[in-house]
Amino acid sequence: MFRHTPLRYAALVLLIGAALTQTFTAGYFGLEILIEILILGMLVLALDLVAGFGGMVSLCHGALMGVGAYAFVTLNVLVGLDPWLSTLAAVAVTAGIAWVIGAICARSHGIYFIMATLAFGQMGYSYIFESPLFGGDDGMGGIDRFDLTSIGLDLNDSKTFALFCLAVLIAVYLFAAAILKSGLGRSLIGVMHNEKRMKALGQNTWRVKADVFGLSGIIAGIAGVLAAQHILFISPGMLAWTVSGEALVVVILGGLGTLVGPLIGAAFFVVLKHQVSEVTSHWHLVVGVVLIAVVMSRANGIFGWIEARYGAWIDRRLTDSTRTETPEEILTDA
Amino acid sequence: MLELSAIDSGYGETQVLYGLSLTAKAGRVMAILGRNGAGKSTTLKTIMGLLPARSGSITFDGKPIPTRAFDVAKSGIAYVPETRDIFPSLTVRENLEIAAKRFGGADAEWTLERVVDLFPRLGERMDNGGMELSGGEQQMLAIARGLLMNPRLLILDEPTEGLAPIIVKLIHDKLQELKAAGLSMIIVEQNFGFATSLADDVVIVGKGQIVWTGSAEEIRADEETQHTWLGV
Repeated sequence: MFRHTPLRYAALVLLIGAALTQTFTAGYFGLEILIEILILGMLVLALDLVAGFGGMVSLCHGALMGVGAYAFVTLNVLVGLDPWLSTLAAVAVTAGIAWVIGAICARSHGIYFIMATLAFGQMGYSYIFESPLFGGDDGMGGIDRFDLTSIGLDLNDSKTFALFCLAVLIAVYLFAAAILKSGLGRSLIGVMHNEKRMKALGQNTWRVKADVFGLSGIIAGIAGVLAAQHILFISPGMLAWTVSGEALVVVILGGLGTLVGPLIGAAFFVVLKHQVSEVTSHWHLVVGVVLIAVVMSRANGIFGWIEARYGAWIDRRLTDSTRTETPEEILTDA
Repeated sequence: MLELSAIDSGYGETQVLYGLSLTAKAGRVMAILGRNGAGKSTTLKTIMGLLPARSGSITFDGKPIPTRAFDVAKSGIAYVPETRDIFPSLTVRENLEIAAKRFGGADAEWTLERVVDLFPRLGERMDNGGMELSGGEQQMLAIARGLLMNPRLLILDEPTEGLAPIIVKLIHDKLQELKAAGLSMIIVEQNFGFATSLADDVVIVGKGQIVWTGSAEEIRADEETQHTWLGV
């Protein structure tokens, strides 16, 4: 099952430390990049939950994030509902839609599962794109950030908003870890290893997959609400399959099925994108080369590689500490 | 207790079982014997809903058996597969809890403590990962996980496959204990001595059909049948 090893704790502390340092030292653009990383971090946590621990490689998680954003803006801006109630409703709607998608797609496997999720995502994109109610191709604006002035926080300040997003990301991470440590999480991992065995153990594997997909939708919905609050504008592009594809690239870059890895992947991806795009507009080429290198290395992403090296180092230390004789002594004794 | 009637089953376009019929009685141990490829494991997978029966019927305690694997398990049949199927990234405790969570309860006959009493070795390895277990420990865990489903019928596929003789004896003794406690079992086994010393009833599967039915004593005495259908 998912475990917090010392290395994972260390990586989390380093990531939070780096985010806090960036928050208090960076200028406006640095903070914008940080917020982008934090929101992408939420999306990739949602994706890692289903893909890394359930074997459900989804190409609709970008669309789910878009559903969260559109539901929030519709309720808050068009209907005039309280922003917190709009958030709750938007997250619930996203989770509900995710559960239905999961329930339908859970009956397929492998490439068919991927294609089914892609189809759902593209249906959402096409619907929003063609729908005048949601602004069609023009998107929707008029979004305000949460009003937390009553507790002395002005989210219109980038620094405060970055801290708010960091707090939400930590909460989302704890939520994902709690799911994985629960009975449902264990069942999900069991289903990924051997679905037939889980069925023979009396588990309704279809339900396990649908439930976790729905819970993953909660996280994607939260990411959507914050994405809308970040840019203060939403457009159908949020639901495009390329967003899901990018999230998948980030998860693979960071380390599938590690939770921590995708967060590292998000930071690496966004920083790389901005750094390279300052030099050339063909930043996708560089990301592509990096991705190919990571895949060809056969390590499980950046964090998977670090974990493998750390594990080998621990093994060497254990071997050294249990060895009482030097090879020369053994040869002499012989 | 369990009755298979004229079952046809197989994999894809390959038919393996041809009108197979058998009856397993409550409180008894039945051994299903046969050469490799005869259809023994296919029979078990068909019972468990892991392979669909193309025709024929299966009843458990007089009622048609469900078609979905998880409903079959809920009806009171636990299946310990030949491959053991331990979840490698879960600990021994977590492997056990997966079964205990669904089938445990205040009045459950089999609890975590009781399976550890039966297999003390598992108690020592509770926090070890599934991939760190030896073959014998994996088999103990697979049987313990089956028992935690509190089944009325325990089905074991090749429980001695690949195990050292001392572990085979241990598994034999534990299954004997379960038999003495009145648990109904079906055992598919290549080890003739192991199977016939445990079983009350024996059926032999050949070319997808039951070709011989009798008691364990009868098959031990029938050398011609052993030679013809089992190559013993």
